[in-house]
Amino acid sequence: MKKIFIAISFLLLVKLNYAQDLVKKIPANAFTVATIKGDNVFKLMFVKDFNESFVGKKLLAETSKSLDKNFSSIEDFGINLEKNIYYFNQLSDSITYNCFLIPLKDAAKFENLISDKDKKIRTNGDIRTMVLPDSTSIIKWNNNMMYFVTGSIKSTFFADSAKSVKYGIKDIRYQNSYDVLTDSAVVAVDSAYTTTDAPIEITEMASIPPPYVSPQNTKTHKKTTKTKGVVKKSSKKKAVVKPKKKIKIIEETMAEEVYAVDSVADGNDKYDEYQKERAEQDLKKKQLAFVWMTAQADKIFNSSYESIESNKSYSASLDNKAIAEIWVASLQDVYNSISPELGTYGKSGLMKGYGSLSAKLFMDDKSFRISTGLELAKDQADAYKKIMNRKLNKKFLNYVNSDKAIGFMGYSIDTKAYLEEFPKLMKQTYGAFLGRNMEEEIELGTDLFSILLDEEAVSKVIKGDALFVINGLNTKDVTYTSYEYDDDYNQKEVTKTKKETLPDFLFMFSSEDNRLMNKLIKYGINKNYVTANNNIYKIEAKKSPIDIYFMIKDGIVFLGNSLTEMKSINDKTFKSGITKTHKTLLAKNNFSFLFNAKNLVGKVPTEEIGGEETAKKFNETLGKMGNVYMKSNPIKGNLVSADISAEIPNGHENALKYLFTLIENAAK
Amino acid sequence: MNLKQVYKLVLFAFLIPILSSCFEVVEEISMRNDGTGDVVLTINLSQSKTKVASVMLLDSVQGYKVPSKQKIQQELNEAVTYLKKSKGISNVKSTSDFNNYIATVSFSFKDVSDINNITRNILTQQKIKATNTSSYTFNKATKTFLRKYQPLNTAKTEFNKLKSKDKAVFNGATYTSIYRFESLVTSTSNPASNVSKSKKAVMLKSNIMDLINGKTNVSNQILLSK
Repeated sequence: MKKIFIAISFLLLVKLNYAQDLVKKIPANAFTVATIKGDNVFKLMFVKDFNESFVGKKLLAETSKSLDKNFSSIEDFGINLEKNIYYFNQLSDSITYNCFLIPLKDAAKFENLISDKDKKIRTNGDIRTMVLPDSTSIIKWNNNMMYFVTGSIKSTFFADSAKSVKYGIKDIRYQNSYDVLTDSAVVAVDSAYTTTDAPIEITEMASIPPPYVSPQNTKTHKKTTKTKGVVKKSSKKKAVVKPKKKIKIIEETMAEEVYAVDSVADGNDKYDEYQKERAEQDLKKKQLAFVWMTAQADKIFNSSYESIESNKSYSASLDNKAIAEIWVASLQDVYNSISPELGTYGKSGLMKGYGSLSAKLFMDDKSFRISTGLELAKDQADAYKKIMNRKLNKKFLNYVNSDKAIGFMGYSIDTKAYLEEFPKLMKQTYGAFLGRNMEEEIELGTDLFSILLDEEAVSKVIKGDALFVINGLNTKDVTYTSYEYDDDYNQKEVTKTKKETLPDFLFMFSSEDNRLMNKLIKYGINKNYVTANNNIYKIEAKKSPIDIYFMIKDGIVFLGNSLTEMKSINDKTFKSGITKTHKTLLAKNNFSFLFNAKNLVGKVPTEEIGGEETAKKFNETLGKMGNVYMKSNPIKGNLVSADISAEIPNGHENALKYLFTLIENAAK
Repeated sequence: MNLKQVYKLVLFAFLIPILSSCFEVVEEISMRNDGTGDVVLTINLSQSKTKVASVMLLDSVQGYKVPSKQKIQQELNEAVTYLKKSKGISNVKSTSDFNNYIATVSFSFKDVSDINNITRNILTQQKIKATNTSSYTFNKATKTFLRKYQPLNTAKTEFNKLKSKDKAVFNGATYTSIYRFESLVTSTSNPASNVSKSKKAVMLKSNIMDLINGKTNVSNQILLSK
């Protein structure tokens, strides 16, 4: 009873914790958000089980070893395992931030992970800060959360001299006339820096701030300005001039580098001069990145702002049953954000119409499942809806035998809609790539395509639905040439036979108008490419390692390598037997795929796999695999989505535990 | 999905993961007492013809480019042209059967040691590092035929670097050497070799895998009656 009570109060606590979910700390303009849902993970595997697992033991042992401490549970790291861990990134024209938000349960335990913590940690109220040795990342935490940020400056931003001069940074290229460049630039730098304490510096910083330094936040600004001044002094005079509390950290870590830079400056060699100048500029960029990161981290802790929760696309992508989730704001934006770096090839507008992308991972007692979704612009979604407006021909299902089927793949699209929409989609997606001036030509090409093709007529020949199924394996006798030797070892060529196992495949597609097909068959027969036997035709291709047969029946074109199967379809004696699951999978979705490894176990003769050992491994691997499915879901609103799932074999509690067993086996 | 794609799907799914094939390599040398003789080399892949035919439909398999029929024929022709130009070699012929995947090259030599030069030259030409030291000699005076074969350790190391999937290709492969003579064979040094009833031929069969691993050695010293 007491246990139940504890369990209930524990659950309530978890619910309460939700109220303080760290998602609130993720800015609304985050570009990518990834989540690991602690509570869902540890529902599948208790912390105790994790600690005792192979992975857990390894993790604890390695951490203990590297920190020279003794950890017995992952709870010793101080992380709140019942809450969500987040990763997000933010992009701007000048800097990219990669950030982690980790919930803490016991800050003291977390601090224990840091060696020499008294020297490294700066405390300000209940907020503690640590700068990683090379000043490229900052870790900040309080009693509830830990925040890690690392920022990288975009070189393309500083290649624009108008922008870089504002920050006292030059774009240096060795090939340039070095002297001229230095002189003019130095003036700019000095003018900016000599006014360190003047208000003009503040406005300059404010006029082109990184996106996350809010102009209203004067506190942050003041700090930023001061930082710049001190850093400058330190790099010029090499002296530590009464650093402000916050800045001391940078001073210490960077003083050595500055010294190193200066010592190279001797001699008149231009290359040395260039190297020195370059190192100075890199240092400045690094300092600037640090200043921006500090401001960004302060903001996370000290100010309130709109969080990513207000983003409809983000909140719609969530599923509280998922173990992990990832969401990317917009494919179009991804492309645009990297396009400046692609130079002239990067033209904005490519990937137009493709919105946010999301993926979710689920694990339960039966399977792993990854569900992916892509948001489309309305036009695009409408086009896809038209294309997907077809269901698989129900008659196909009569030719699937679930007991024997090793796998199948079905797809159905509306050929007519596809042919009509395809040129439009191409234009929308790649139009911009060809350039603005090409629009008329694209238009012309699209029209020409429509005129040349009679979409209606094509869609009657190939309706757009097809099913490929492998209904098991078949053994057949194959002859081959070998040698025998007489008493005098004279070679004699002999023909021997051996058994060979091959999959029986059957491919079918719907066709209303068979006139063209019949003409082709007639042509094939006349040219001896095809031989006929009743309704069944055989393709006479010498190159083919297997016989291929085809026939047209009930508006379906059948293609396969088993004559028996073809005959049974022809005289309606085909033994079907499709399970309900397979039926639903095929009939309800525009695309579906299944691989049932179990039906393959032991079916391939040992000698054909290459010896007993290989065969054993082969069968073992297959035996451990459950069904693997893939399917596309119907378009909901503007969202296209698809699922991939893999069933876990019997005898395993849930997918997560099974995954751990797999890792353990692989590591052995 | 066209026919070729259907094919490829089947091939990739089922044939390629189990690409162990049986093939035979046969080397026949007929020595005459005057030191001249004939050679027939045969590579027979017909036991694996379904697989080979399947592989030939693909562009590459397990990361290796699959040569076309034309390319194979061309290489074979080049080998013949090269042989024709070689010192002491005459009567060069080749056959190729792309239905059963059997290819042969045959030629006559003035002296058995001429073969040694050919192998060395071909290897240098193809920039292939020799994987073994192999040579043939025939001493007319002592009537001794000597086949030397010393696998190099590097060959084994190189082979072991291959993925197990690639190694499996050699699983069922065999190598047969047959040496025929005009005089009777009095002794052979390799216990794995057999002397024919007529005592005029010596045969040695081995797994190619064992040969690469150095488990079997095909070196042999054959003494003929005077």
